[in-house]
Amino acid sequence: MSNKSALTIEEIGVDFSGFKAVDGVSMVVEEGELRVLLGANGAGKTTLMDLVSGKTKSTQGRVFVEDTEITNREEHEIARAGIGRKFQIPSVFRDLTVRRNLEVASCLTPGVFANLGFGFPAEDRDRVDEALELAGLREQAGRRAGELSHGQTQWLELAMLIVQNRKIILLDEPTAGMTQAETFKTSQIINGLKGRHTLVVVEHDMAFVREIAEKITVLHLGKVLAEGRIHDIERNEEVRRAYLGSKGIA
Amino acid sequence: MVDTLFIGLSLGSILLLVALGLTITYGAMGVINMAHGEMVMIGAYTTVLSGIYLGANLLVAMPIAFVISAGLGWAIEKVLVRRLYGRLIDTLLATWGVALVLQQAVRLEFGLSFLGIHVEGLGPGLQNVDVPDFLRGTITILGTEVNGYRAFIILVTVVMTAVTWLIMNRTPIGMQVRAVMRNRSMAAACGIDVARVNALTFAYGSGLAGIAGVMMSGFKTVFPDMGAPMVVDGFMVVVVGGVGSLLGAVAASGLLGEINGLVAAVTNDILARAVVFGTVIVVIVLMPRGLFSFKGR
Amino acid sequence: MTLPRSVTIAAYASFVAALMLLPLVVSDPFWLNRFAKYCVYGILGVSIALSWGYAGVLNLGQGLFFGLGAYMIAMSLKLASATSLQQGSTTPLPDFMLWNSEPGAVTDLCCINKGSFLWIPFQWQWFGVAMGLALPTLVAGILGAVIFRKRIAGVFVSIITLALVLLVRLVLIDAQPITNGFNGLTDLGWFTVAGFEFDPYVTPTYYLVAVSLSVVLIGARLLVETRAGLILQAIRDDENRARYLGFDVPAYQIFFFCVSALIAGFAGMLYVLAAEFASPTFMDLTFSITMVVWAAVGGRSSILGACIGAMLINTIEASMSESATFMEAWKVVIGLMFILVVLYLPRGIAGVVKDGIGRLLGRRAVAAAPVVAAGE
Repeated sequence: MSNKSALTIEEIGVDFSGFKAVDGVSMVVEEGELRVLLGANGAGKTTLMDLVSGKTKSTQGRVFVEDTEITNREEHEIARAGIGRKFQIPSVFRDLTVRRNLEVASCLTPGVFANLGFGFPAEDRDRVDEALELAGLREQAGRRAGELSHGQTQWLELAMLIVQNRKIILLDEPTAGMTQAETFKTSQIINGLKGRHTLVVVEHDMAFVREIAEKITVLHLGKVLAEGRIHDIERNEEVRRAYLGSKGIA
Repeated sequence: MVDTLFIGLSLGSILLLVALGLTITYGAMGVINMAHGEMVMIGAYTTVLSGIYLGANLLVAMPIAFVISAGLGWAIEKVLVRRLYGRLIDTLLATWGVALVLQQAVRLEFGLSFLGIHVEGLGPGLQNVDVPDFLRGTITILGTEVNGYRAFIILVTVVMTAVTWLIMNRTPIGMQVRAVMRNRSMAAACGIDVARVNALTFAYGSGLAGIAGVMMSGFKTVFPDMGAPMVVDGFMVVVVGGVGSLLGAVAASGLLGEINGLVAAVTNDILARAVVFGTVIVVIVLMPRGLFSFKGR
Repeated sequence: MTLPRSVTIAAYASFVAALMLLPLVVSDPFWLNRFAKYCVYGILGVSIALSWGYAGVLNLGQGLFFGLGAYMIAMSLKLASATSLQQGSTTPLPDFMLWNSEPGAVTDLCCINKGSFLWIPFQWQWFGVAMGLALPTLVAGILGAVIFRKRIAGVFVSIITLALVLLVRLVLIDAQPITNGFNGLTDLGWFTVAGFEFDPYVTPTYYLVAVSLSVVLIGARLLVETRAGLILQAIRDDENRARYLGFDVPAYQIFFFCVSALIAGFAGMLYVLAAEFASPTFMDLTFSITMVVWAAVGGRSSILGACIGAMLINTIEASMSESATFMEAWKVVIGLMFILVVLYLPRGIAGVVKDGIGRLLGRRAVAAAPVVAAGE
């Protein structure tokens, strides 16, 4: 694995009229790495993702995808710069079929006029089929996305990101609300993405984190508390103290 | 200058009177009631009919109009609006249908005109209401002669706004309404009977429109289509003021009323209305949440 | 529920065929003229379905674009009218301008009234045609850019469009000396192409409108079949998801808003050809909402459905309007129908028909291949 950095965050922060939800966080995620963001409620994990993906405008610091600066650009520009994002509450195009959802995601020419043609190139269709297979949604391809179960909706959104083939994928609690079997399948899908994409995952479920994690960054009150391999984090005194009252992170 | 401002104020208070009910129904229930203007129309016709058949004046008509339009509003909520919560645009369309039906009900004298029966006071024609003697003429405020009826409208508006504010902020049911406004499902989880609150809110909002109609009948001709432009004005006030904000509605109607009055004084009524619409667009574009609004939702 | 492509094609083909064959059945020029107007309403239905059904933008001011298109061509046709040519000036001069002018004003289009010079280029009919298409599109472009770049959505868009159409209507009425105010533009000349005059009461005029409708209908249907059309529907479902997939959401919304406005403006022009007037009533609140009613009854998310809804309601209405009381009662029916459609048939007539055909095909598929059907 190369040591080239895929996502570089420098001293990023946001001030919501006095309240600093994220306060000077710096982080370098290397190409092909899977980074887990850990932290209690209100630690700033989701806000950090919002800052990277452009949902929230930062009031300090900078973000780079490889060497391109994307700080405070429009959401679609950031996406085109190479960042895909999955939301905590799964969001898919409910009135379109599963296949249509993926076709939309597969369309990498962003302009209106460039898209005034019919159908999708064969290679895009192949990618769609591949993603359907990977997310186990081949049987559901013709169904309306709104009819899917919660777990299937989550996988569809993952599949959309797979089709997009962005360099960096941000996943916000991909297993929220899932059964154990569903969580297991999700970890398989995510493990399948390792190496091909750079992944940043926000997760609470420690069992799941052990399943997928390589390197962990712990956030606390908007700042980086610790960073390291999973067993280092689990033994870290500061992390334990920060989680005191919630019985550690086990 | 004072009389121009006064005219603006009275225009604003009419706007507010119409918008008060909408502030509550739209704010609390997220329902765009296009038949709100027809509630005003019903209120106006109540004045006409109670004048003809009961020999009653405008003041007596006010409680009657409130009861009738509130009852109608209650029925509309029970039969129709209740099934459409969360479908904002659909409520807009369905209540537009209600508006058409109500207009025609008055125009066709509830269908009696098919049988050749004519009810005096109804039908497609124009109706006029006489203002009681003690409201005619002028009174002197700040050294300026002002129209007595306009002053009366302002007074009624102030009273109705104060009453609404008190109900919303100082009574248990008002607290429930505000709870539903902020978070419907949370309110339900706390044991508030949301369906009942909705029905009452809708009835009260409609009742306010009925009173607005009574006031309207004193200085405008009454006819079956009179409500349509009013619902538009009412919505503009609500949106400019900030959805669900009573204070916002007061400020917005004052603002729009004064703009209307001032521009009309310089140019004419048509351009004044155009400027009002322009102001509304600019406010929505610049402040999509309106002048006053609570966070969330 | 998606129907096989062949069913959709068959539906469009039979509709267009019916339009083309109508003059064989209806020979009364009066009724043919009426149907031409209904075809115009059909075009409006298409424009509503495009913006409401496919872009998810409920425009309550579609009458603005219709009205702008109508006035642009009506200005040209007014100058071509016999009434404008008899005023004794070197340029044609609309009669109402003379009535509204100050005593002693120069009787020429350049300066008879304040702003009357704006009419000068409309002496060339094709300028009016070009403006009738360009102006609505331009206005929609500017309006759309403001609304969608600002991420204003939902009912706020409806209120802005509503306020705008009412604003323009008032300005139009106020500019009486150059627009004839409430009365609108009447006594128009006929649209003329290469010496042929489109008398509103002859078959070629009907065909002009019917062919236009067919082209718009099929064009719009093909447009939503493109990748851009699919992305537009995705944006309607979840704007943010589309944004984070890398699509410039406002660009799509503005584009389709403009297309919808262009179609409405085109409809306005055709209406003037068939009805021989343009009036501020085109920009009334009621008219703009009525269009939405047609689309909702026909099926808001079906282009053909919205088109047929518009034509059907108007045809029934016309047969009712024989007597004044029937007409009034009809409005009650419309009101009730609307309530019932919203309550029970949110997908409109098109939804019912689609479900029906789907069930029919389903049953046949079961009969033909029970094994396959059981597998699904």
